[in-house]
Amino acid sequence: MSIKSILDHKISRKSFIRGMPAAAAAIAAVPGLQLAQATPAAAAEAETKPGYYGAPRTWMWNPNANSMVDTSKWKKAGPYTIGFSNASISNAWRVAFQHGVLWSAGQHRDEIAHLLVTDANDDPSKQIADIQDLISQGVDILLIAASTEDALDSVVGRATEQGIPVVMVDRKVKTPANYITYVTASDWALGRLEAQWLCETLGGKGNIVMLPGIAGSSVAEIRIKANEEVFSKFPGIKVLEKQYCDWNPATGKSVMAALIQKHGKAIDGVLSDSALQGYGAIEAFLDAGYKDGEFPPITGGDVARMYQLASQHNIKMVGIDYPTSMGITGIETALDVLKGISVPDKVEVSFQVVTSPGADTVSVKGDRHLLDHVSMSDPGDLSPSNGLPAGYNPSTFNPDYPK
Amino acid sequence: MSAIAMEIRRNRLVMSYLIVAMLLVVLVVAGGFLSDRFLTWRNVGNLFQQLIVLGMVSLGQTFVVLMGGIDLAIGSLVSALTVFLANFLEWRPDLVWLALPLALVAATAVGALNGLLTVVLRVHSLIVTLGMSSIIFGATLMYRKEPGGSVPRAFADVAYAKIAGIPVSAIILVAIFALAGLWLQRTRSGRSIYFVGGDREAARLNGLPVDRIVVLAYALSGLCAGIAAIFLTARTGVGDPRIGVALTLQSVTPVVVGGTILAGGRGGVLGTFLGVLLVTMLNNLLNFVNVSSYYQWVIQGLIIIIAVGIHTSRRR
Repeated sequence: MSIKSILDHKISRKSFIRGMPAAAAAIAAVPGLQLAQATPAAAAEAETKPGYYGAPRTWMWNPNANSMVDTSKWKKAGPYTIGFSNASISNAWRVAFQHGVLWSAGQHRDEIAHLLVTDANDDPSKQIADIQDLISQGVDILLIAASTEDALDSVVGRATEQGIPVVMVDRKVKTPANYITYVTASDWALGRLEAQWLCETLGGKGNIVMLPGIAGSSVAEIRIKANEEVFSKFPGIKVLEKQYCDWNPATGKSVMAALIQKHGKAIDGVLSDSALQGYGAIEAFLDAGYKDGEFPPITGGDVARMYQLASQHNIKMVGIDYPTSMGITGIETALDVLKGISVPDKVEVSFQVVTSPGADTVSVKGDRHLLDHVSMSDPGDLSPSNGLPAGYNPSTFNPDYPK
Repeated sequence: MSAIAMEIRRNRLVMSYLIVAMLLVVLVVAGGFLSDRFLTWRNVGNLFQQLIVLGMVSLGQTFVVLMGGIDLAIGSLVSALTVFLANFLEWRPDLVWLALPLALVAATAVGALNGLLTVVLRVHSLIVTLGMSSIIFGATLMYRKEPGGSVPRAFADVAYAKIAGIPVSAIILVAIFALAGLWLQRTRSGRSIYFVGGDREAARLNGLPVDRIVVLAYALSGLCAGIAAIFLTARTGVGDPRIGVALTLQSVTPVVVGGTILAGGRGGVLGTFLGVLLVTMLNNLLNFVNVSSYYQWVIQGLIIIIAVGIHTSRRR
């Protein structure tokens, strides 16, 4: 890849224009590299909130080469029709994520003629039909959040064989050859950081319960593996139970209530891979009569309510949002592919590490505290890392986009 | 049953078919206006390719509902069979010829067991099949919690194959529905399904082997679930212990929309076929007009209630 294409790549990105005045000097010194995968989300808050606004740490600290994909063979003239196949909008995360996709398409009206959106309601067979329907409508590119990484693999591969480029976002399929790139955040890093924080907070000794997301989804399974890498280094940590909670607050609450019934105060810590079931779990502790100071340390990110509850009840937590702003990055990456601009084979957006005040550990330092991240007046289902304009409210947001 | 009563009953069924057919025409015309790509050959082929799984489970449900029962084990059975097929084929891709009949036999056996249990225990089929569904679901998860396995490429291609632009799966589906229709109308055993569904005691008094017919209806439902699972496995390329979850309820929709009444004894497979076409085309069209998915669920619900409402009010 030529230097020119690297430069073109960076300059073309909206993130460059919108963002990161602080990094400007560094950019001048090392053109391009600094903004390799900067999240546009970072730009708006950089001046007002403490936090990490650099290039993703997983990109910077990657001990191997970051491999780039030459997309020149997909290059075509616009305006484009983009097909977006969403696994579902069945929880707050997915709603904010879809809002990001729609809003971003609205920001690129000059390049996008139509954005066609389908919703599979978490049903892989419907999503296969959805993808076929989008192909029938003659889309130039597919942006897909797969409901499961196995069942969608075949149809995604067939789309690519038919000459339709595919960008995966949020959830990928099994075979990397079946798509061009995958827009995500590092679930490995997220899973390790949360588990490391929990183990260190417990002093390397105690009983924990694991509340992962949806069985079989790549995100949930990777986080579990990353958690287990860390646990294997702490022989004093005992996993009492692992129960999938489907990233659903009601399920999180009922599962946690049952676990409290069964194990009571023997539970020293909770590893919830998201706040979606995490705040349900906190509510279960509240219902069980836990008072401030008695709550076990807990992990989770993604929606405001968990940070708010943790702040209100002085609960020790670490939260890492799987940023919903990757919907925005997904549209930008799809446009890069259609313009023939090289993309990394994995586009990892940045995340913030959020801790309760005083809850930093030796290895895990917060980029910001709970109330830097959310305010007590935010809607409970707000995704704090949404990258959308200030004042974003998921229940009233109705983005205008090219239909 | 008097000849006149038969005639009225038949006319009512024909009216039900006409209503669903009219709804289909409305959808096609609306689709043609709303999107210039909806009525292309490519999309019609795509649409027919999507029919087989819902079509087969709905056909199975039709047999059971006509006989006066309901089968709530369909979804779990399909999921379990995809897991069996994908794992078996990953282990021995060369034994496709063995795996498919095995799956069909197992599916038929599970269906027959459902029938036997309702007959022997005299428990309502809703309870028996719900229990069976739970048992199959749990047992499948014990074996495999996550999607897995794989299928040979040639087998996967079956789900996507076309002859002269027409999807092979659609040809098979139409052939099976035609056979089922002929069987129900023209043979003694087929007609006895209606008699048992219409009035089980009367059928018994008339000397029909009621218990055997009940078991037969469930066995056929199992067989249909087996065929659905074969195509679903080919389509997805994996075995997924949860993939059929939504299918149980989905299998009921085309049956009732097609004019078969849940109490049993009245209806037919043509209505179910039109119902399958209607539901599949509706989903396809709503994807084409790019309306928010919230509306999709509302419109689907409305169509079910309207269609069934029309059938019911005509019967009063």
